[in-house]
Amino acid sequence: MSDQSAQVGQSNAVGPGVLLTGERPFEGAPIGSQEEFIAGEDRRKPRRWSRGRLVMLAFVVPALVIYLLMVIVPSLQTVQLSFTNWDGISDGYDYIGIKNYEDILTSGRFWNAVRNTLILGLGSAIIINVIALIVALMLDKLNHAPGLFRTAVYLPALVSAFIMATIWKYLLNFNFGSVNTVLREIGVPDWARDWLGDSSIVIWVILFITCFTLGGNTTLIYLANLQSVPQELVEAARIDGANGWKVFWNVTWPMIAGAVTVNMTLAMIAGWVIFDQILVLTAGGPGFVSETMAFFIYKVGFGEYRAGFGSAAAVVLFLVVIVSTVGTNAYMRKREIQA
Amino acid sequence: MSTTTTRRPFRLRRKESSERKKWSVGEVIVMIVLAVLVLIVASPVIYALLNSFRSYSEITIDPMGLPTQFTLDNYVQLFQQTDFAEAILNTVIITVGTVVLLVAIVPMAAYGIERVGGGTSRFLYVLFIAGLMIPFQVRMIPLVEGFNQVGLYSTLLSVILVHLGGAASFGILLYCSFIKGIPIEVEEAAHVDGAGRLRTFWSIVFPMLLPVTSAFVIIQALGLWNDFFIPLVFLDSSSAGTINVAINRMVGLLTSQWQLIYTGAILAIIPSIAIFAGFQRYFIKGMSVGAVKG
Repeated sequence: MSDQSAQVGQSNAVGPGVLLTGERPFEGAPIGSQEEFIAGEDRRKPRRWSRGRLVMLAFVVPALVIYLLMVIVPSLQTVQLSFTNWDGISDGYDYIGIKNYEDILTSGRFWNAVRNTLILGLGSAIIINVIALIVALMLDKLNHAPGLFRTAVYLPALVSAFIMATIWKYLLNFNFGSVNTVLREIGVPDWARDWLGDSSIVIWVILFITCFTLGGNTTLIYLANLQSVPQELVEAARIDGANGWKVFWNVTWPMIAGAVTVNMTLAMIAGWVIFDQILVLTAGGPGFVSETMAFFIYKVGFGEYRAGFGSAAAVVLFLVVIVSTVGTNAYMRKREIQA
Repeated sequence: MSTTTTRRPFRLRRKESSERKKWSVGEVIVMIVLAVLVLIVASPVIYALLNSFRSYSEITIDPMGLPTQFTLDNYVQLFQQTDFAEAILNTVIITVGTVVLLVAIVPMAAYGIERVGGGTSRFLYVLFIAGLMIPFQVRMIPLVEGFNQVGLYSTLLSVILVHLGGAASFGILLYCSFIKGIPIEVEEAAHVDGAGRLRTFWSIVFPMLLPVTSAFVIIQALGLWNDFFIPLVFLDSSSAGTINVAINRMVGLLTSQWQLIYTGAILAIIPSIAIFAGFQRYFIKGMSVGAVKG
């Protein structure tokens, strides 16, 4: 891994020196002149690297160095590793071209993970958004104790996906879990089953549990937007004889289109990387049935010592996230303008 | 969200009207539906809370029973039998350390990005925002190797550094959209009065950023406290881990001791609720600022 450490070393050097003086020689400017203070506004002066701008750039440096070292450089290294046969522990590796990508795209296990990611990512995004919007509409209608209800609706969102999944793991236990116990007691013992061990339903059980988290922020964003819909528009529509549904569809819905875009995009980004629930509830099992892409990368990279292969899967995940995020945004923004 | 920026952020329509205290059947129904929904979503947590007061045998014999005697044995056992206390300490260090460092560097960086101007501004902004679309899984494998090489693997510092990089993008997005709305004249005045850049930032600009800072701190603190994946990857089994990692190990080691796992889950939730309860006002305001302006 000698070339990797060299890369880390290099990027360490992208500190103040390179950024501030590498491109242009330093040019002193009179200190205290007002034009110089607002470097960005100053279009008359030909010199671009005045003292003011250098100080402003220095403000960015600490965050930029950490961001480059922790996000950008490792991401690029992942792209590099995806063309190797590295196992994740030995010192050396060979470049094997696009073999990892060929293996991934022809692997049934990977496509199963893609299918699960789609079910969980899209499914939870849609279900959570629909429920959050309905709840936000109800909260918006409240005239009494709105704060109390807003807090009560948000409270469950404070419980992490990990904790929620851990509790559910025991609720769904085949022998002693409460779900099966209740089903047996209310007289439908046939409905009791091994919820997390039955490969035909396990992914839908995980989808159900996933929907128990993540909803709080979505609701708050919808509520904030609903409360900023001008009341005059709603009243005008009412006077024109529109009923509740028509008011919602023709006035409220177009006005909150921006919130729908933001919430769908955020929920999808969160959905593509669902991991905690899988690790806790099934560890990808039974077999590989309930693996998601995020879990697949983790398992292959660390559990099966195929870091190069896992890196290729990570690159594929990145492409899925970027294409779906940019695509959803472009589509929904267009819809916003039409609406 | 350009469509929303011109609207008034909050309206006081209900307080203005004179018939504001009138109850309607519809509102009561809405309240009942909301209460039922909250109960359904919270039911697993309520179940865990009740069972954290019951012994192992009680839970196995009657999973749906209520606690008969109110005992704190499980809480005592949890701290005696596992290194849960150390896990709590680790989680506190990671959460507080990351939040402090984030507030020290991110607002300043966002201010720098906004005020540099021109193409440099745009480039830096896009570079940081691009991170929002890079999932942690994408950078995970090289990071583990990198920390191994510099000897930081399985230290709390490695977890903090990884969190810092991940949170920077969201922070820059939040702060930049807020700083855009701050008039530059105040800074000029401070400058004329002889304040340096750093002084101007910390004593003039930073106080104006307090609303967005409180929202940022709460969102991050909750996320850090609840995080499971990053400490799982970067803290090996020689460390006590964080609360969530410790609970996950209990699932493996003490498979049948559900009463301890329920107890650990409840202990993990309490600080989240405390953080939220303490700063709720700022949080909802901050979320609204982010949503309406973002």
